[in-house]
Amino acid sequence: SSLMNRQTGEIQSKAVPSKQILHSDDIEMEPETMETKSVTDYFNKMHMGSLVYACKRKNK
Amino acid sequence: HVRYRMEASCLELALEGERLCKAGDCHAGVSFFEAAVQVGTEDLKTLSAIYSQLGNAYFYLHEYNRALEYHHHDLTLARTIGDRLGEAKASGNLGNTLKVLGNFDEAVVCCDRHLEISRELYDKVGEARALYNLGNVYHSKGKSLACTGTRDPGEFPEEVKIALQKAVDYYEANLLIVTDLGDRAAQGRAYGNLGNTHYLLGNFRKAVMSHEQRLLIAREFGDRSAERRAYSNLGNAFIFLGEFEMAAEYYKRTLQLARQLKDRAVEAQSCYSLGNTYTLLQDYEKAIDYHLKHLVIARELNDRVGEGRACWSLGNAYTALGNHDQAMHFAEKHLDISRELGDRNGELTAQLNLSDLQMVLGLSYSTNTSVLSEIQDTDTSVPGARPKLSRRRSMENLELVKLTPEKVQHWN
Repeated sequence: SSLMNRQTGEIQSKAVPSKQILHSDDIEMEPETMETKSVTDYFNKMHMGSLVYACKRKNK
Repeated sequence: HVRYRMEASCLELALEGERLCKAGDCHAGVSFFEAAVQVGTEDLKTLSAIYSQLGNAYFYLHEYNRALEYHHHDLTLARTIGDRLGEAKASGNLGNTLKVLGNFDEAVVCCDRHLEISRELYDKVGEARALYNLGNVYHSKGKSLACTGTRDPGEFPEEVKIALQKAVDYYEANLLIVTDLGDRAAQGRAYGNLGNTHYLLGNFRKAVMSHEQRLLIAREFGDRSAERRAYSNLGNAFIFLGEFEMAAEYYKRTLQLARQLKDRAVEAQSCYSLGNTYTLLQDYEKAIDYHLKHLVIARELNDRVGEGRACWSLGNAYTALGNHDQAMHFAEKHLDISRELGDRNGELTAQLNLSDLQMVLGLSYSTNTSVLSEIQDTDTSVPGARPKLSRRRSMENLELVKLTPEKVQHWN
């Protein structure tokens, strides 16, 4: 049989793995970048806006 | 008066949610944002910001369907109030979420929208970010198409190559802008993913060049996680260039950093890669040393898939050294684990290895005899042996297990 034809030498060569064993899916990706919105920024801007408004009124 | 109190309370809850997310506690942050939504507000811009942040928090918590839901609310709202920048941002976030969910075509539409509006508004930063996101979508698309077959990088079907080439084009377009803007952190990300895409395309020299740039920037920032990623990716590329000594050097640095960062799973992966590299270098003693280290950690992490791989690799290395008894032991373990996991390929490989070894040892041997069960019995008596039906956590799922701190940085 084909099994009987296999020799020790063949076993040895089989021990050298294909590069495939390194699994191409083990590459490591960089993180995603998500877009951010912030209530704080908006809140600060609103405050700044009303302060500017108040100052302008005072100056008048 | 009541409305004023309601608005104030919604804002306070949202601000606390924001603070918690920035501090890295997305779980708690989500509760505050959800409460803010419950209270409600008539200020649609505030509501949009809350939806957006809820979407991002769920994204970082890997609850992608929820993330999708909130980014969709945000998009609808931004369109309703005619907030173009808000619409661009919501589209980008929706695109990223759709990508993770594997819905690449819709993801492209959303990321394109992000790009289009950013260009319309002459928003260079937004444009660059949209290009990076598009690169990521095409990279993931290519990889997911490639996953159906197990081929070496560079040997993928045409449709995979087309998607990956598009990713390269987008990353390069991104690099042009972020280099112009002097944004080193963004350059680092683009180089890393560009390198990985070149790697999959089989452009290993280009992959090395990109990862070397990534490494340089990681060092500039003292970002050790990024440094470790670059080492590992450089190791992979050098393997395919046939420069195994270089690969071993980079994997050793990966291992060193994995230990410093106390990341056992990455440590295991590095040991496994080192074991394979020394096998390619035909230094089987060192290969065995690293595969045994990998085996120990795989057992510790209850990672049966990793354990099976370790056993298979150890069987091969011992065979190469002519230590057929040890080879037999690990081939049997490999068979055992493959059966448990229902891995038909593994099972057939293990059986083939066993019959080869039996011939070498001149034994008449059947895998169904009591010898196997005897070995199993002794194994369960080994201290630290795992119960057979322990929870499995395979190395392949590591991406999902990785926790958020690194990602949470982008909140700040």
